[in-house]
Amino acid sequence: MDLGLQGKKAIVVGGARGIGYAVAEVLAREGCDVALSARGEDSVKDAVASLSRYGTKVVGKPVNVKRAEEYKAWLEWAIEELDGVDVLIPLSSAGGGIGSEKYWYNAFETDVMGPVRAVEAVIPKMTEQQRGAIVLVASTAALEAMGGPQAYNAMKTSLITYGKQLALAHGKDGIRVNVVSPGPVEFEGGNWDMIKGTMEKFYQSQLRQQPAGRLGRPEEIAKAIAFLASDAASWCNGSHLVVDGAFTNRTHF
Amino acid sequence: MWDTARMDVKRVVDVIRVDPADCKGGTPVEKAPDPELGTDVIPAERYYSESFMKLEWERVWTKVWLLGGRADDIPNPGDYICTDIGKESVLIVRQHDGSIRCFPNVCLHRGNRLRPEGLGNAEQFRCMYHHWTYGLDGKIERLPDLCTFPQGGPPGMTLPSLPCTEWNSFVWYSLNPEVEPFDDYIAPLKEHLEPYHPERMAWKRDVTMEWDCNWKASVDAFNETYHVQGIHPQLLWYLDDVNVQIDCYERHNRYLVPFATISPRVAMPSQIPPAIDEIMRNAGMDPAEYEGRVSDIRRDVQLFKRKHGAAQGKDYSALNDDQLTDDYHYMIFPNVALNVHADDILMFRQRPHATDPNKMLYDVWVFELVPQGEEWPERPRHRRFKHGDRSIGQVLDQDAYNLPTVQLGMKSDSFPGLWIGEQELRIRHFHKVLDDYIYGPGGKGPDDI
Repeated sequence: MDLGLQGKKAIVVGGARGIGYAVAEVLAREGCDVALSARGEDSVKDAVASLSRYGTKVVGKPVNVKRAEEYKAWLEWAIEELDGVDVLIPLSSAGGGIGSEKYWYNAFETDVMGPVRAVEAVIPKMTEQQRGAIVLVASTAALEAMGGPQAYNAMKTSLITYGKQLALAHGKDGIRVNVVSPGPVEFEGGNWDMIKGTMEKFYQSQLRQQPAGRLGRPEEIAKAIAFLASDAASWCNGSHLVVDGAFTNRTHF
Repeated sequence: MWDTARMDVKRVVDVIRVDPADCKGGTPVEKAPDPELGTDVIPAERYYSESFMKLEWERVWTKVWLLGGRADDIPNPGDYICTDIGKESVLIVRQHDGSIRCFPNVCLHRGNRLRPEGLGNAEQFRCMYHHWTYGLDGKIERLPDLCTFPQGGPPGMTLPSLPCTEWNSFVWYSLNPEVEPFDDYIAPLKEHLEPYHPERMAWKRDVTMEWDCNWKASVDAFNETYHVQGIHPQLLWYLDDVNVQIDCYERHNRYLVPFATISPRVAMPSQIPPAIDEIMRNAGMDPAEYEGRVSDIRRDVQLFKRKHGAAQGKDYSALNDDQLTDDYHYMIFPNVALNVHADDILMFRQRPHATDPNKMLYDVWVFELVPQGEEWPERPRHRRFKHGDRSIGQVLDQDAYNLPTVQLGMKSDSFPGLWIGEQELRIRHFHKVLDDYIYGPGGKGPDDI
């Protein structure tokens, strides 16, 4: 099956590590030009250097998505560098946290406004092109208990609703918007890597909930995202795909 | 110093450390030259041999200064600490003039112990058996029916006096009447440890565990960070076990371990690890507000504590910036390990069993800084457990879990002794100091254990 990603222009916000990096890598390997961001200059540089081996145009620049003006300028820069935008995957996340009200603001600014500002930046161009695919990344923490009541879970939930409504609003312009909710994903330097080391019992309890006896890998999420972002998913719009190795208990009717 | 880049690490980390030139008057931070201690095996037999245990008793325990307890446990005349070491037990007693004196805890009549181990207050020490009665100064004040002892009372009508002193909120004693001056013995640690002001810290925990291992196996367990990657994997997201400065002095030693940071052995996380989150909260920071990188937290905690400590009633003025986060870990020969921190001290006193080289007493003492203006907390009661009966916290449980199997394995015919690496230099240094006490300076022969 040809995904039809060859020559497409993709923006990956938070693309230097973990799932984000895996997404950028799958897209570059499939022939996309990629613009990626991260907070740290070094990590952006490393990611760009590493992804350039696929022979497409890969550019990157550090940005803190919580700084609205700086972030908006970054998005403009990315569209300009790529000379257009066909694919948007905004993955930046503030992560979890309980015990301070500030976690709600962090999650709102990073997990919600990160994608919102990116969507608003690309919609005019995609509308003009009458073509575009956006994949928002929520979480199974939106669906079932995970880590206690906290901003991360609630804010990720809002992306599922937001994604559906974007699909309804922009489908007429050839823009598809889908949502992927990954289950726990493990990679070096990621949260589950740290949890494995620091809270081994909890980690083992999560493994026992995984029918396959392991957590997900970044590339397993990235491939699902890349599919939804590709022309191969031309009839997928407003959908929500749970990619969790059957970690969640509920049936997703 | 070992080459960290060639170790089993994921990253090479250049730790920010204070400049020794900026630490004049405080705890010295200069790296002491590493002693040349060779690479010989440390004989396993010394961990289980009864004859070596006897040598240790004759040439170490009865010769050196020993930690007795905490001075603020005995503020008033008649307050005493009764503490055991091996087959001996001593009474450390506050006198009417405010000084302290130390006596063997034994009635000169028939040998009964005068008091059980622990704290107390007495106007006099009266033996339960025949009511021989001793004053706070050790003098026999009453000897019932003295006229029926044709030989009179014991020499001088007094308990022998043992050397004792107070230093840095702790009381020290020796079973050796001829022991060197305490200041000579403890050198150079006075200037190292006094800046921590333990007198501003209150008891938080006082636990004794009966451990199923030789006391030296416990000393060794806390004298290297090499074991962190083995038995404390969770600490790799809390401290740097690789970039450790080791300093060996005449008989004591230390290492400096960066805390509030990520070990080079694991990938740098983007989220703040739970234990570092707790360090930040304890300092008064809100981790949710933190905008820096995880690798910047250690330095930022130092700066935050420096700036806000005084307003929190915490006087850090005598400490350098590294001391505001890091673990300065001292070993006072032969048996005291102290993790000293700006806000607390976690220390262990490791005592030999009276008769069995395969057992020991492991005392855990924790003290916490009481902010100025806050009420001094009530002293926790001393508790005593057998090995593994109770949890003493995840990290110490992990240490404890391992030791009985270490003790068992030591006795294998296939195990000549400890195969020690550079990261374990303090272990080698400790055993060298021990050798010199046992066999005389440089006197250990090739066949000696």
